[in-house]
Parts: sequence; C-alpha cells; structure tokens
Amino acid sequence: MSISREAGEKILVEQRLAVESIRTFLNSKTSYDVLPVSYRLIVLDTSLLVKKSLNVLLQNNIVSAPLWDSQTSRFAGLLTSSDFINVIQYYFSNPDKFELVDKLQLDGLKDIERAIGVDPLDTASIHPSRPLYEACLKMMESRSGRIPLIDKDEETHREIVVSVLTQYRILKFVALNCRETHFLQRPIGELDIISQQNIRSCHMTTPVIDVIQLLTQAGVSSVPIVDDNGFLLNVYEAVDVLGLIKGGIYNDLSLSVGEALMRRSDDFEGVYTCTVNDKLSTIMDNIRKSRVHRFFVVDANGKLMGVLTLSDILKYILLGTN
Amino acid sequence: MTENNNNNNNLFNNDASMLDIHDNDDVQQHDNANLTQSFSAMNVDSPNELEGEADNTTNELIPQPDLLPDATTLPQQQGRHHRSALIFDEDEDEIPPYTNHNEHGAGSLSDSASDSDSDLSSVSSNSNMQQQQQQQQQQQQTPAPVAPAPTPTTNPTNSTRSNMVPVDITWQQGGNKVYVTGSFTGWRKMIGLVPMPDQPNILHVKLQLPPGTHRFRFIVDNELRFSDYLPTATDQMGNFVNYLEINEPPSSNTAPTTNTQQQPVIQQQEQFTQSLNDDNKLRDKPISARSRIALEIEREPDDIGNGFTRFRGETPLLKNIEYTQDIPAVFTDPTVMEQYYLTLDQQQNNHQNMAWLTPPQLPPHLENVILNSYSNSQGTNNENNSGALPIPNHVILNHLATSSIKHNTLCVASIVRYKRKYVTQILYAPLQ
Repeated sequence: MSISREAGEKILVEQRLAVESIRTFLNSKTSYDVLPVSYRLIVLDTSLLVKKSLNVLLQNNIVSAPLWDSQTSRFAGLLTSSDFINVIQYYFSNPDKFELVDKLQLDGLKDIERAIGVDPLDTASIHPSRPLYEACLKMMESRSGRIPLIDKDEETHREIVVSVLTQYRILKFVALNCRETHFLQRPIGELDIISQQNIRSCHMTTPVIDVIQLLTQAGVSSVPIVDDNGFLLNVYEAVDVLGLIKGGIYNDLSLSVGEALMRRSDDFEGVYTCTVNDKLSTIMDNIRKSRVHRFFVVDANGKLMGVLTLSDILKYILLGTN
Repeated sequence: MTENNNNNNNLFNNDASMLDIHDNDDVQQHDNANLTQSFSAMNVDSPNELEGEADNTTNELIPQPDLLPDATTLPQQQGRHHRSALIFDEDEDEIPPYTNHNEHGAGSLSDSASDSDSDLSSVSSNSNMQQQQQQQQQQQQTPAPVAPAPTPTTNPTNSTRSNMVPVDITWQQGGNKVYVTGSFTGWRKMIGLVPMPDQPNILHVKLQLPPGTHRFRFIVDNELRFSDYLPTATDQMGNFVNYLEINEPPSSNTAPTTNTQQQPVIQQQEQFTQSLNDDNKLRDKPISARSRIALEIEREPDDIGNGFTRFRGETPLLKNIEYTQDIPAVFTDPTVMEQYYLTLDQQQNNHQNMAWLTPPQLPPHLENVILNSYSNSQGTNNENNSGALPIPNHVILNHLATSSIKHNTLCVASIVRYKRKYVTQILYAPLQ
C-alpha cells in the first residue's frame, strides 16, 4: 500500500517538475527561435473578395491567413473560419442581401460582424523576439488559438507580418522537443482540464445551419455528433465550413450535418478520443504524430463524456497549478 | 559557378547600382559583403549534387564576352519570365499552385545549366562583363582592358567552390560525452567533441564544412540536445535544431586592384592562390568531389594558355575601393555610356564589334520557377505544419514573382530575409 502511494507521489513530483521545465524552456526561447530557417507565409489583401479569399485558403490547404491593408501598409487582422461562419449567419438572417455578400470584401467583414453582434476580427499580435511563453499566453486569449508575429521594418518603420503561431504548432513543438513530456504520467482525469459540462452536441440529422450557430454560440471550434444514446459518431469542425461554402454557396444550407460531412475532403484526420485514465504524455505523443486538434473524452463504451481541446492542454502546461 | 551566381544576382537585381557591384568586388574582403553570397550554390548535402555542379562548370567555359544591355531592359525581361511562376486558378480547387517546382534552388540552377549550353555562355559572359565593369568603375574614363577568355581547362570558379571552411563548433552546457551530429554527416555519424585546452568546461571540435546552411544537434551523455548559444530553428519535421550559415571564406589576397591594365582574370588567378592555401589544409582530410577538382586544377601546369601564366601572388593586392552613394556617370549619362562602349569596341579585336547592342541571354536560373517550392505538395502535410520550405538559393532572394491575373486576382510573391531566416511571402490581392 505504502509502495503504491510512494509511486503515486513520485509521479506527482515528476509531473510538476516536467511542467516547470517546459515552462522554463518556453521562456528561454523566442518565437523567432522556433521558426524554420525558410518557410512560407500567405497573406491576403483586405480588398480581396471574401469568396475569393476562401478559394485561396482551400487551394493552399490552410484554414487561416493574416490580412494586409495596402492602404495603410499595416497588418489588418487574422482571417479564420469563424469569419466565414459569421458571413453565413449574416446571410442566413438577411437572405435579401445576396448582392452584398457576393461582393463583400475582407475589409467589409467588420460591418457584417457588427451587424450580427459578434466580436470583430482578431487583431492581436506579438513581436517575434518576445519569449515563446508570452506568445502562448497571448495566443490563448485569442478566439482562434493563433497569434500573428508582427515586427517593424527598421528603415521604413512599416509593419512586417513575420509568421503566425498556432496552438497545434506550439504543442507539437513541445511534444517533439521537450523530453520532459514523458514524465507527464498523471491521468488527465486528475488534472481538472477536461470540459465536461455543457458539451454541445448534435445528431446526424441536425440541420447544418443549427450546428454552425452552435459553433458561434458556444464559442467552440467543433461540435461532436452523437447518436440517440450519446455515443460519439463524428465531429463537425469550424474548418469544415470552408469546404461547405466552397464556390460561394451560402444559400444552400438546408442540408443536415450528416450530408454536410460528405463534402469533407478525404484527408480528414479522423476523430481522436481518449479516456480520463489516459496520461498527458500519451496525449502529447498523439499530438506529435498526428494533426489532432482536440480529443473527445469517452467512457469505456464510447459514450461522450467531455472534450479536451488544445487550449485546455496548453493552458495546463502554461498555467496549471496541480 | 559561385562567382557567376553572385554576379548575376547583382546584375538582375532591380536596382543594379554600382553599390552592388562594389559589394561583389569586396565579397571576399568584408564580412558584410559576404552576406551577398552566403547562400551560394553550395547548399547541398548529397555528394551527387556536388558532382552535378562540378560537371556543369566544365561546360561553362565558352568565352563570349558579351556586354551589358541597357539596364532598363532588365526588369522587363525579368517580369516576362516570372509571369508563369504562379498559378492562380479559382476553378480548380485544392491544387497547390506550386506543385511542379523544383525542390531546391541550387538544384534547379544546375538542372537548367546542363540543359543548355548557350545559357551557360551567357552566364560566363555576364561575369566577364562584370569584371569589365569593375575595372571601368575604378578607372572611370580610362579605357577598359579586354577580358581574355579563360581556357577550358582552368575554370577559376571551381576552386572557389572547393573551399571548405573550418568551423569551430562548441558546447558549453556541461556533460561528459558530447558529440555533434547533423546534416553534414547525414545525421548518421557522430563526431566527438574534446575539451578546449585552456577552458575544460567548453568542448569543441573543428570541422571542415562546405559553405551553406548546416543543421545539427548535440548528443550529450546519450541525450539529444541543442545549444542555447547558437542560432536555432525548427526543421521540416518540426525538430528543434541548431543551424549555422557558413559563408565563403574571407581571404586576404583576392582583391581586385586599381592598377590600370591589370588583367580582369586577376581575380580568378587569385582564386588559384586561395585554393593552393586550402590545398595544404585539405591534404590530410577526406577529399570531396569539389576539392578534388580544385586539386586537379592545382596540378595543372602554370602555363594556362593564351600567353598567360598562373598568377602566384606573393604580396596581397590591397584593394583601394570605397563604397559610394554616387552612381558613376557611365550609368547615368547616355553620352558617357556610349563612349564607354565605343571604347570597348575599339579595344576588342575579337570580331565582337557592337556585341553590346544585343542584350545577353537570361541567366538559366531565371528560366526556372524562382519561387521556393511548397513541400506540402509532396504529401508531407502532416509533418510540415509550419510551412517549412527548402532553404532558398540566394540568387532568388528579393525578386518579385507574379501569377497571371485570373478572375481579377493577382498573386505576387517574394523571398526575403528576415534576420537570419527566409520568408517566402505570397500576397493575394485584387486588381483595382
């Protein structure tokens, strides 16, 4: 008995030390340090039409891009899937405004967003030479789980969009390069990091527009799809919306979420699940291996219990106290 | 090849000013200037690529001293050739626009070089031209000397490329058994570090590395680590590594001179001296393909044909060049420019009269797609979520590439330096 308690305490101490060590590491490196030596960055001009920007994102296989205002030569925010969701919602409640939606430019998004009463584009940013830890904190405050790195040109004093960091990128980086993650052996159920209350879920037959509304109402990036008994079947993600309205189809949203999933591209990673007994080290291992954005917590029978998002994990690593 | 690349880069920069040419002159002298050629064609890991480039250089020696075209024609040409660089296609979804690009800047350069001999000749002619210009700029209105063609057996640029640079890699973060492994050993071999004689806490090893970017990590007591004292980056797989950008070695004796009537080949000949020095260093090291060529050249007789003998400079030819903001009259005043070219013509007894009227052909690398390729087109999407790209060859930096305008949308892109890293930025904007 005492042996097992001793082992439990060892795990406790090791996990605490590991988390501290990861924090020290994130504090010791800047965002600039972790950029690849050479990388690409896709930027959209704010005068681009919203429907064209969608094509650019899909073509380049990305789900978000920084915006550039060429009038002021300044960074103008981050375009994410939630902006497209806002357009859908606006159009849904104002079906007579097709002309406006069709000709909408990226810099007109703020009017749409004001009209439907949601937060405008994310414009938060951080300097690339700030510590990674700070960038992560700022990233968590943002709605999209991303933080653009903005610098100023020394000669012209104009802004430079350097890169955009995402939660997944940071967590994968930690999983790959911090061997301390092996010592995160406590079950995630103990850590109080799983969202278990108020999980909004839907059924396969739920109209997709309701699911889209659920995404904004709950401020989440995905809605799990369950059957009548609460067993997890699939997930509808905010990024799935991009494929749904491909080609500027905003008006044909009467289909069910099950039908909408058929438009998902073939390289969908799948739905990741875990149980409350899984350890954070296993979770980090999965993040390292696959492009996973959340884990649904299920019980032994596959019944949905809760969700563990990347921001939950990042928050624990940055700020967790137990 | 290296030298040629530099020259071309300057020639085809949008603002090919005298400053650039000065830079180029002094590349071997100043650390700052070294930046211009830091990413020469040597950014290679595989020996095959080394061989490939070496082969090309032997083709490169067609003497054909062309002259510079009117500077204003250059951007147009450039624009024309870049136009096909990007594809913006609204109808065809999910096709990454840059799928067919070559993986590597250096690779595409050598590919196209072997494609066409005529292109090669333009490369070498450009570099000849460059040298003539250098002379001109130093001498102002003094008639420029004729550039004698180098003979096929003695391409000077070979020796430049063979320069291995001694690099001291240090580790100062503790540990007993410290090894370094990296792209220079294919990540397989581990090279042991030894304590410095005077500072036992610092371990080091001296490596001979070709210029280019090298990634590496340390193995400290069987644990993979990186140094906090060296630049860091994330590689394509997401691994955090140290990296070093190794420039051409600065050398003290490769200065162009201000003396009149010094042959333009002087720089080339100095390269030989350089390679001679290196030769000694290399003698007890394993020899790369590159150095082998250098050694072969070194073993050639001193008589290099055309009445020239190999230059064995005893005294360093100190440069007497200053940087200036003033554009020499030869580039601003059409009458001076005309006079200059007429003088050149009179000097040239090789039946190439008025050759300067025809612009030289585009350097071969401009025929290829300039923009850095997407690596996600090879299905490595999953591992490469940070958009990591191959390290660009420096000749493709600061160029503006554009797509054809489709559906009223224009896509422009350029690769620029951000501190010690490279951003391939692609901007989509509507036509207004």
